[in-house]
Amino acid sequence: MRQHKWTRGLNRRKRALYISSPIGLGHAQRDLAIAKELKKLEPDLEIDWLAQDPVTRVLEAEGETIHPASEWLASESAHIASEATGHDLHCFQALRRMDEILVANFMIFQEVMEEGLYDVSLGDEAWDIDHFWHENPELKRGDHVWMTDFVGFLPMPSGGSHEEYLTADYNAEMIEHIARYPRIRDLALFVGSPDDIVPEVFGPGLPKIRDWTEEHFQFTGYITGFEPPTDDELASWRSQLGYREDEKVCVVTVGGSGVGRDLLEKVIAAYPLAKRSMPELRMVVVAGPRIDPAGLPAHDGLEYHGYVHGLYRHLAACDLAIVQGGLTTTMELAATRTPFLYFPLRNHFEQNYHVRHRLDRYRAGRYMDYEVTDPEAIGAEIISRAGAPVDYLEVETDGATNAAAMIADII
Amino acid sequence: MRASYPDHVGTVEREGVRLGYEVFGEGDRTLLLLPTWTIIHSRFWKLQVPYLARHFRVVTYDAPGNGQSDRSVDPEIYSLDAQASYAIDIMDATSTAEATLVSLSMGSMWSLSVAAEYPDRVLGQVFIGPSLPITPPTAVRAESAEAFWLEHDDPQGWDKYNAHYWQTNYEDFAEFFFTMCFPEPHSTKQREDCVGWALETMPEVLVAKASVDAVNHETVLDWCSRVTSPVLVIHGDDDRLSPLSRARQLAEATGGSLVIVEGGGHIPLARDPIVVNRMIKDFASRIAVRQDELA
Repeated sequence: MRQHKWTRGLNRRKRALYISSPIGLGHAQRDLAIAKELKKLEPDLEIDWLAQDPVTRVLEAEGETIHPASEWLASESAHIASEATGHDLHCFQALRRMDEILVANFMIFQEVMEEGLYDVSLGDEAWDIDHFWHENPELKRGDHVWMTDFVGFLPMPSGGSHEEYLTADYNAEMIEHIARYPRIRDLALFVGSPDDIVPEVFGPGLPKIRDWTEEHFQFTGYITGFEPPTDDELASWRSQLGYREDEKVCVVTVGGSGVGRDLLEKVIAAYPLAKRSMPELRMVVVAGPRIDPAGLPAHDGLEYHGYVHGLYRHLAACDLAIVQGGLTTTMELAATRTPFLYFPLRNHFEQNYHVRHRLDRYRAGRYMDYEVTDPEAIGAEIISRAGAPVDYLEVETDGATNAAAMIADII
Repeated sequence: MRASYPDHVGTVEREGVRLGYEVFGEGDRTLLLLPTWTIIHSRFWKLQVPYLARHFRVVTYDAPGNGQSDRSVDPEIYSLDAQASYAIDIMDATSTAEATLVSLSMGSMWSLSVAAEYPDRVLGQVFIGPSLPITPPTAVRAESAEAFWLEHDDPQGWDKYNAHYWQTNYEDFAEFFFTMCFPEPHSTKQREDCVGWALETMPEVLVAKASVDAVNHETVLDWCSRVTSPVLVIHGDDDRLSPLSRARQLAEATGGSLVIVEGGGHIPLARDPIVVNRMIKDFASRIAVRQDELA
């Protein structure tokens, strides 16, 4: 017997579909924090996730509900990894070349929304939804919340005038979309503050990014997705992790993708140089699952790990972190007030402009240009910064609460 | 990275020419996505394949001259009869008894001729931006076509559609041609993709293709009169390559229906993929329902 069920409108619980970008793990963490706050405000709200690896791993660990259509999604993170070579990721072009993945995934999302079961879609840098609903406004279903931590594609110098033209053209299309169909984004959230916005224009003849963003977004403040540890917690983490008080621990991490071997090699080459002036130096290298440490040099006081559980505790408790320029990790370090050096990936406009601008505002971290920095320079930075005091601005702790309140308002 | 990779790839050979094909998904409802002018290859379906393959079995292939197929400069292999045979060869090689054919631009001629000559193999046809001599070309294109084999000094506009210009300034021609294909604002990626695919073949191939006798108006009308299965025509009203009148006439002559993309250019499947994907899927789903009813 075929059986079907239809639920009367007033008998239905409120439901949200959360789409969390899988490019970088940071979205998952902040989206979980927002979802938790949202459930406090709307206890009856059911949240399903349309998500892909590696976001699903985080969600599954938290017992969240993953929509079965998720298994059809084409992998955005694998695409981005495939676009990286050495310490280089041209992320604007990588996003452009992701066009077929975005269409494929939008079609899946649209089918899910057309079942009519969701009151709202929450898209954290879900580029496909935002773009294609503006292109096909008749397809919009339910309310839509758009979230991002940067606004505006910016050209890298290596792309010359053609890239200036392309980024301006993409920005212009986005501005036209919003002007023509303000009804597509029921709520647009900027994860951060107006001061985090770069002092640039969208392109020749286009508005200033900050002016336009202030007009079209609400600001949540930064969302780390965790409570920064107290001094007591830090001390206890440090002893649990076996980091002694009389040693200077430098944690080097390059994320989970294969991108980063070049940076690791350069930093490791700096180790013996720094160790000479700082005998108490200990370097902990987290190579990630895709980099085999077997081919990397061995030194006394230098250790390699493929994976460490609770990496954030290592980053919080160490004396110096050396990382790439991704927003999540660097802002985590800003929040835990850890001294750090960060090396944005070459040609990555978001890391080189948007993230760097934000970190400068927080006075957090030391920007390093991978291209021109040699092991001697890294060694000198290690010596001067490991364990040194920092004067970072406090990172907000109420971002997720703010975002949830704004979302709850429209649900 | 591609959004989806084929479940099966293969080649067929006809008179020494090798053609590459790809099969996505499974089942007994097949969409055959035909090649178009060999200046681009089957990757032009990249925004359709992942979606359609979740609902149907999808077969794509490259005509001679580009993609995974041989770059022959023998005009014979580009003849209309040969092109129709390739479609049937690919269907045979992929065990596709019958299929819904989807074509772009010049592919419309191959689709129509297959539907006319092998009606039992074709369940329906979707034509996107059909370019075929069912009504005259635009005046500017007709004029440049007359001088196709003549050498111009510093040709501009459609005069670049010229055998000599192709062989001396191929990339510039491709830039011009795909700018004409995508008059919609903000089409940089679509143009770039097409120019990139154009550079995967060479002008000698296009010249060989252009040497083949053109199909005439009467033949096209004859094919149309023999079409027995459903037809959907999708056409931009800002198509600078093939006038909208052709789509109207094709829909009328085949008893099909026409969807006009207002503001759309010649390749809406790339510039407005979402709406085109949904139209193809709806059309093919209705055919599947009809098949079930007949079964």
